[in-house]
Amino acid sequence: MNHATRVYDSIFEMLPNEDNPTPLVRINRLSNSTQFPLYAKLEWLCPFGSVKDRAAWEMLRDLETRGEIGGQRGIVEPTSGNTGISLAAMARARGYHMRAVVPNKVPLEKKVLLKIAGAELDVISDELCPAPGLGDGSINLAKTHARASSHKYAMPNQYENDKNVQAHFRTTGPEIWKQTQGKITHLFVSLGTCGTVTGTSKFLRSQNPKVKVVAVQPTEGHDVPGLRNISQLKVSKLFDASLIDDILEVDFRLAYGRALELCQNEGLLAGPSSGLIFEGAMTIVKRDKAGVGVMIFPDNIFKYTANMVKHIPGLGEGTTA
Amino acid sequence: MTNYAHPEVLVETDWVKQNLGKPGIRLLEIDVDTKAYAAGHIPGAVGLNWQTQLQDQVRRDIISQEDFEKLLGGAGISPDDTVVLYGDNHNWFAAYGFWLFKIYGHNDVRLMNGGRVKWLNENDKPLTTDQPSVEPAAYKATKPTRELRAMLPQVLEAQRKKWNLVDVRSPDEFTGKVIAPPGMTETAQRGGHIPGARSVPWSTAVNPDGTFKSPDELRSIYLGQNGIDPQQQTIAYCRIGERSSHTWFVLRYLLGLDNVRNYDGSWTEYGNVVGAPIEKGVPVSK
Repeated sequence: MNHATRVYDSIFEMLPNEDNPTPLVRINRLSNSTQFPLYAKLEWLCPFGSVKDRAAWEMLRDLETRGEIGGQRGIVEPTSGNTGISLAAMARARGYHMRAVVPNKVPLEKKVLLKIAGAELDVISDELCPAPGLGDGSINLAKTHARASSHKYAMPNQYENDKNVQAHFRTTGPEIWKQTQGKITHLFVSLGTCGTVTGTSKFLRSQNPKVKVVAVQPTEGHDVPGLRNISQLKVSKLFDASLIDDILEVDFRLAYGRALELCQNEGLLAGPSSGLIFEGAMTIVKRDKAGVGVMIFPDNIFKYTANMVKHIPGLGEGTTA
Repeated sequence: MTNYAHPEVLVETDWVKQNLGKPGIRLLEIDVDTKAYAAGHIPGAVGLNWQTQLQDQVRRDIISQEDFEKLLGGAGISPDDTVVLYGDNHNWFAAYGFWLFKIYGHNDVRLMNGGRVKWLNENDKPLTTDQPSVEPAAYKATKPTRELRAMLPQVLEAQRKKWNLVDVRSPDEFTGKVIAPPGMTETAQRGGHIPGARSVPWSTAVNPDGTFKSPDELRSIYLGQNGIDPQQQTIAYCRIGERSSHTWFVLRYLLGLDNVRNYDGSWTEYGNVVGAPIEKGVPVSK
């Protein structure tokens, strides 16, 4: 392994950490405040394409270390795509099988990518008329596989597994602290399993208790894969409100518009969840006026072309002869 | 605290566990997505598909008496058996099954409180992928009890006679903001609700773990806050009749109202009827 020459003996050596961080790139045209520079942390430059590499690796290594997987026993996981893609690719590269339980509304690109990465796919109908607080269909089906076929499956369970938090405490937090030379004042994140926000915040607050943590969530009934509105957060046992200063709610359609602006003005091919976070960060820049902001951009736009066409009027026009 | 009007029709997961494999007690899992059953079910439970096995596959209707008899006989069930139903989606489809069992006169049918999600989340409850071995039995149903079912004429009559109409869909379906939950293929030409209906979403009846609320809470919700008059006839409806089965069960068996019908045609019938009056928007206060 040599991070200077970027020559590696295996893909796993490329996983990010303090010595091999994902890049921080400053926003220049969409926000040019010298008093409050904003940096995007490009998590899509993780080797399997998203921030979920961090949690997936930590959880998989933990299962390996404890002898929970191997032989006939692979993994099953509920996922909206990114965790599944990371887990499937990692699992297959280490010789395990993987079953991914995916809600139907996940974009086709992600479903096909899961299969390409080597996952067996269970697509389940989306919640028909969910009641607040009642279980999530994909989580329950994955749990059923793990319990009824425990000889075949271990379930990492990103929604409850503390390794998801530890991954970010061990890598994302220290990376940001080192990259900003301790100058970070605001962290901007989205909420899904909440592993990122909880782990990163814990680390940054351990270095500087004054670091503000801003979580940006889409409006209820949203269509931003991977994210959860506050009303959907009960399924995540990793959510810790004490680590968050502000929770901003942003109209989910702005996520798509902002993603397009990032692509077309900054050269950052950011996905909709990054767009949502950027919108939230801009609100705080106006409010707090001074600081150093870091936005964790979870993944890039490539998996969301169908969703972009759905939510950006006119984008699909002129694409056929 | 008072008890449910018919406590015998509701069993807890612990009761089911204690009675696994006992003769005369049969378990049926009724799902709309049978992937759940295939992935793992309660040992001994036979799986039924709500869409293909409980509904006529040609006409829009419940299965005929003959098909019901074949289905239960094939599942090894006798008329004297205690049948415990549970299923996915918070027991909606199991409640529909309960309603169907009562239409065809099965005496002892019960719902497992909390459905498959509650069982799944209790670590002492076993799950299996093994198919149960079933000895086919002879099953004879009674003639359908029509008083449990509302057809379109009764829904129109209910509006004239000011019966209780309970719309159990989500608030957005009730107001007409959406015609159906996103992605649903069964839909209607228009959004809104039946004139005079009260909006009481199905989930109002359950606790966070999916079990039914206490008798006092249910009484307060339905008879108190929503003004359902127990002296009047009542019709519950939703989009395709499954969520309303859940509320029908609450009103008929947990609160003990005498005349409660499930309108299984629901909004996918009513919302498509040419010339039928509908209302849109927020409910007027009763």
